[in-house]
Amino acid sequence: METKSSRRDFLSLGLALPVAGVASSLGVREKAEFSPTTPHPASGIPLAYRPLGRTGLKVTSVGFGCMITSDASVIERAADLGITYFDTARGYQHGNNERMVGAALKRKRKDVVLSTKSGAGTKAGALGDLETSLRELGTDYIDVWYLHGKDSPAEVPDELFEAQRIAKQQGKIRFAGVSTHEVKTMVPFLVEKRAIDVVLLTYNFSMGHGLDAAIDLAYKSGLGVVAMKVMAGGFRKTKPSDPLYPKLRKEGTLLAALKWVLRNPSVATTIPSMTDMDQLDENLKAMAQPYTRDEEKLLTAQLERIAPLYCRMCGECRGTCAKGLPVADMLRYLTYADGYGQFALAREKYRELPRELAEVRCGDCEQCTVRCPYGVHVTARLARAQELLA
Amino acid sequence: MKTATLALGLLFAASGAAAATVPDCSLVPGWEQSGPARAYEADNLFEYMDGNAEGYLIYGFVSMRGVTCTSGGDSILIDISEMTDADAAYGIFASNRDPNRPVAAIGMGGQMTPRRASFAKGKFYVELAANPDKDHTAALQAFVAALEKRLEGRSTPPDALGWFPPDGLVSARLIPESVLGLRALKRGYVAQYSESKAFIVMEDSPESASAVLQKLRARFADATDAKVADEAFQAKDQYLGGLCVFRKGKCLGGYANTADASAAASLSIGLAARIP
Repeated sequence: METKSSRRDFLSLGLALPVAGVASSLGVREKAEFSPTTPHPASGIPLAYRPLGRTGLKVTSVGFGCMITSDASVIERAADLGITYFDTARGYQHGNNERMVGAALKRKRKDVVLSTKSGAGTKAGALGDLETSLRELGTDYIDVWYLHGKDSPAEVPDELFEAQRIAKQQGKIRFAGVSTHEVKTMVPFLVEKRAIDVVLLTYNFSMGHGLDAAIDLAYKSGLGVVAMKVMAGGFRKTKPSDPLYPKLRKEGTLLAALKWVLRNPSVATTIPSMTDMDQLDENLKAMAQPYTRDEEKLLTAQLERIAPLYCRMCGECRGTCAKGLPVADMLRYLTYADGYGQFALAREKYRELPRELAEVRCGDCEQCTVRCPYGVHVTARLARAQELLA
Repeated sequence: MKTATLALGLLFAASGAAAATVPDCSLVPGWEQSGPARAYEADNLFEYMDGNAEGYLIYGFVSMRGVTCTSGGDSILIDISEMTDADAAYGIFASNRDPNRPVAAIGMGGQMTPRRASFAKGKFYVELAANPDKDHTAALQAFVAALEKRLEGRSTPPDALGWFPPDGLVSARLIPESVLGLRALKRGYVAQYSESKAFIVMEDSPESASAVLQKLRARFADATDAKVADEAFQAKDQYLGGLCVFRKGKCLGGYANTADASAAASLSIGLAARIP
């Protein structure tokens, strides 16, 4: 709960602010700087470079997340156009992704920063993964080697840092990193640990100012900050039946999300997923164009989309449940799961309900007696909580 | 654990077909469930496969049901993912399979190693992973056979895969979006050959296919007409090499990464002839 309060912070600010006030609702940094650009010598594309923490590397602020890329030509072209940071992982497509990325970057290996990850839980497993990654990527060194998806200190025993230290000594990796979704918990731990050089973390517009302190701490401590999930994932999930679909899927929306992240100067680079040339061309613009008010409106629309789903935990539910359900509490539990990804906590809390309440099914009532002043679809959300958590 | 298992059981008891999608350790004598059953939807899949969920979502992931089975000191993790359709299930199987190993005749296609097995049948994609590090082939085969029998749906690969010329074919798979890295080619099959690749994309109608073809043609400055099927063009691209795109009815197809555009056109004639 604590670790993902960023979304709650945003929600508590209110989604329904008028357009004139949306800048603060989305957590735009008042002093954000627009990085100067340099035209790439070959492509002429204006690119912005930022230092990757204390590594001494300079990377383009827009990198390339290769996880769902199917065609190597997109990666190859991105490298030709000047993108310098490419990210994959041992686990993506059971290793097939690394093979494709390695083939695509073969010509450009010395010109790019290549990162991959191991999800292994032991030193031996991680070092074994590293050997496989080197083979599949067709290279004899990895620039940044991440421990993959570590969301609590307990998931990073010292032997994993030891594996990274050994790999560095052997010249198989240049820099060590950790990827995490639990930014508030993991950044202080990693800063204190002083064992890595780069942190790959979840960061997007839905989080508002919530992660600023943690990201700044990482930056000031010399960690290179790489942002993932920068598009907030929601756009891909938006279905054609959604009333906001045309607005959210129209060209420029993903670019807006990317630009929002780049407003934070503590972020060195980003790894948006790209599957085609058009998306690549669009994302490149994030380095050359400032974030606009129109883009702010687009992102606000996306946040409006989630308004019917996410309880703000204001406790202002109107009416009471005829069957005695603690509606605000149940919506909160569901928000733990859906909003913050704390599924286990949500289930644990739900199971603390008295048996007679836990057995109530909202589908059995003809009409719900509870209303949300902010438009949360109470009956549907309670039914989902019962389906998911009971 | 019992509560979670019971809840899942109740949830699916209403439908026999749905119940079949919940893996069951008792399918193979001597194995029993360890820990609670797993249930994930698109919204929370990331909790289970942190960092890899998007790779499932792009293939139309709907839900996953899983259990961990144990016997003595051995354990087998079984996950059944329901995808939007059989094409998508085959697509994620083909995306995740080891291209250096043969495809086994399990469902629409499967693969088995001493510690892992996977297959697609109907709209379901099934994965099994065994521990500790030793040969688990016998147990995996037993579970795979039982699960394959239990799951309903298509048992043959998508028809379009059979349209690719077999000579020199290395692998073929569904690309869920942006075939050849081109957004206009929304979803289709790509066959990898040693020196080239072929593709097939089904549009809704001949008209929409024609519109896509013209849109693509406009993208390549040196595109010229090619005599393949109903209409076609050929071009040379820095990244896609020799390229030919043709339309046959509502189907778009072609070759890329050949030495030159005319080679792509020649190969495309053969591909077009195989498309019904």
